Amino acid sequence: MRPGHLFGLETEYGLLIHNPKIGIPPEMLVHQIRDYLFEEQKAGLIDLHHRAHDEPPGNGGFLLNGGRFYIDMGHIEYATPECTGLSEVVAFDRAGDMLLNQTLEKMGLSEDASFIKNNVDYETGATFGSHENYLVSRDFPFTEEGLGHLVPFLVTRQIYAGAGRLGANFVPDGFVVLGDPEFPEIPFQISQRADHIVSDFYQWVQFNRSIINTRDEPLADPGRYRRIHLLLGDSNLSEYATALKVGTTAVVLDLIHDGVAPDISLLDPVTALKVISRDPDRRWEIRLENDKPATAISVQRNYLEAAKKYLAGKDQDTDWILQAWEETLNDLETGEMEKLIGRVDWASKLWLLENFMAEEKLKWDDPWLKSLDLEYHNLNPERGLYFGLEEEDKNCRRTTSACIQQAMQMPPIHTRAAGRAMLIRKLMQHSLPYMVNWTSVYIGGESFSMVDPFKTYLKDAKGFFENNEFIS
Amino acid sequence: MMMQFERRERPLDPVEKPRDTGGPKKPDTDTSRDKLLKRMRKVDPKQSERYRQRTGE
Repeated sequence: MRPGHLFGLETEYGLLIHNPKIGIPPEMLVHQIRDYLFEEQKAGLIDLHHRAHDEPPGNGGFLLNGGRFYIDMGHIEYATPECTGLSEVVAFDRAGDMLLNQTLEKMGLSEDASFIKNNVDYETGATFGSHENYLVSRDFPFTEEGLGHLVPFLVTRQIYAGAGRLGANFVPDGFVVLGDPEFPEIPFQISQRADHIVSDFYQWVQFNRSIINTRDEPLADPGRYRRIHLLLGDSNLSEYATALKVGTTAVVLDLIHDGVAPDISLLDPVTALKVISRDPDRRWEIRLENDKPATAISVQRNYLEAAKKYLAGKDQDTDWILQAWEETLNDLETGEMEKLIGRVDWASKLWLLENFMAEEKLKWDDPWLKSLDLEYHNLNPERGLYFGLEEEDKNCRRTTSACIQQAMQMPPIHTRAAGRAMLIRKLMQHSLPYMVNWTSVYIGGESFSMVDPFKTYLKDAKGFFENNEFIS
Repeated sequence: MMMQFERRERPLDPVEKPRDTGGPKKPDTDTSRDKLLKRMRKVDPKQSERYRQRTGE
């Protein structure tokens, strides 16, 4: 049986130091910010235990909203709690952004540093992730054939989910680059991560980044659930883009589970990912496995038509997804990019950059553009270019500022994040040894299991806390 | 003080969802453009050089 939708997002943030005189590199400053979050702002409970070889005690912790902040490979990373609705996942994603920006303000550092929600560093070629998680049932066809139905959708969804970037990063095909290769000039491309995806299926998450990550780590009852973990996407600033990316992907997973997904295969998915992203004319032409030509829009329309046929009327979220998906594809097809401002990050960024270039008489290779590209992703609302757009056009929003404020403190109310958050609140009022994980909480040697993400566990968690000896 | 927050929050979804206004509209780019260009001119042209991040996942 197919479960309802349950998803979560993970973001690795960049940190830009505006004032070098503060004398601390970003990878060290994130440790101070994390400590301030947990120790001064009381945002949650810092880990007391070793979670993994690279997550020693104190490396991170769970939050009052049921999500998690931690340090990963020099970046501060936020994982939303488990969410069941689109506006909910958008609110909890932005709650992480706002918590970090608020922490910089409270530390008196908002003039000296900014969090940047992007996925590339132009100076070193580094990339860092935006990960998506979708819960599916254990009987989801997690096979090459089943997942094969997902690949063409994922390769082409960047036309509305991409965040856009200047230039390109040419990752070598082999271990050794012979000669002095010449690379084409790419002034602008629509995806930040496309350059860094080098395989279609793989189980690890660094260096050999794949279109679909095949690691089997459900963080739930493994007999009932599986987690689809994706790392090919960009971090979105636009709420509309976040909702459309997560929503369309969840709908396509439903089609695959039900055996009604379109039967499409691409000739070379990894190459197609880059061809689409780098196409300056935005015709997005690719080749199918039978060598027939197609476009990213036509591939997306195949999935949209199947979703309209089998899933229309299922619930409010699904109907919003189907309508927004169709409208966005229509606008992409007509090439009226101004209609996409605020709804599609790459189109918004491109519009801003082209206007600025015309005004200041700049060319694509002017270094100022790289700085403006970064500023699009700046999470300080006073500085960030996306926030400037949002002030002008409220149609790009899918939640409200009040909801985001609430999501910084409170968990989603329909998932186990509610039970986890309740135990975190109680633990913050008592001095007890604890160990909090996604699927369980240990207190004073007693364990409380939460393997069903769709249960809130509120009553059971309250009983567990109040009836155990550790509280006496 | 923390206890008073427990389970008293209103549901996030869909009560607070913004009302749909009949589909997206093109923003009033003529009036917003100047404000945005002003914001862009304040950006330090060299800030990208200081953005040095480690590779993540």
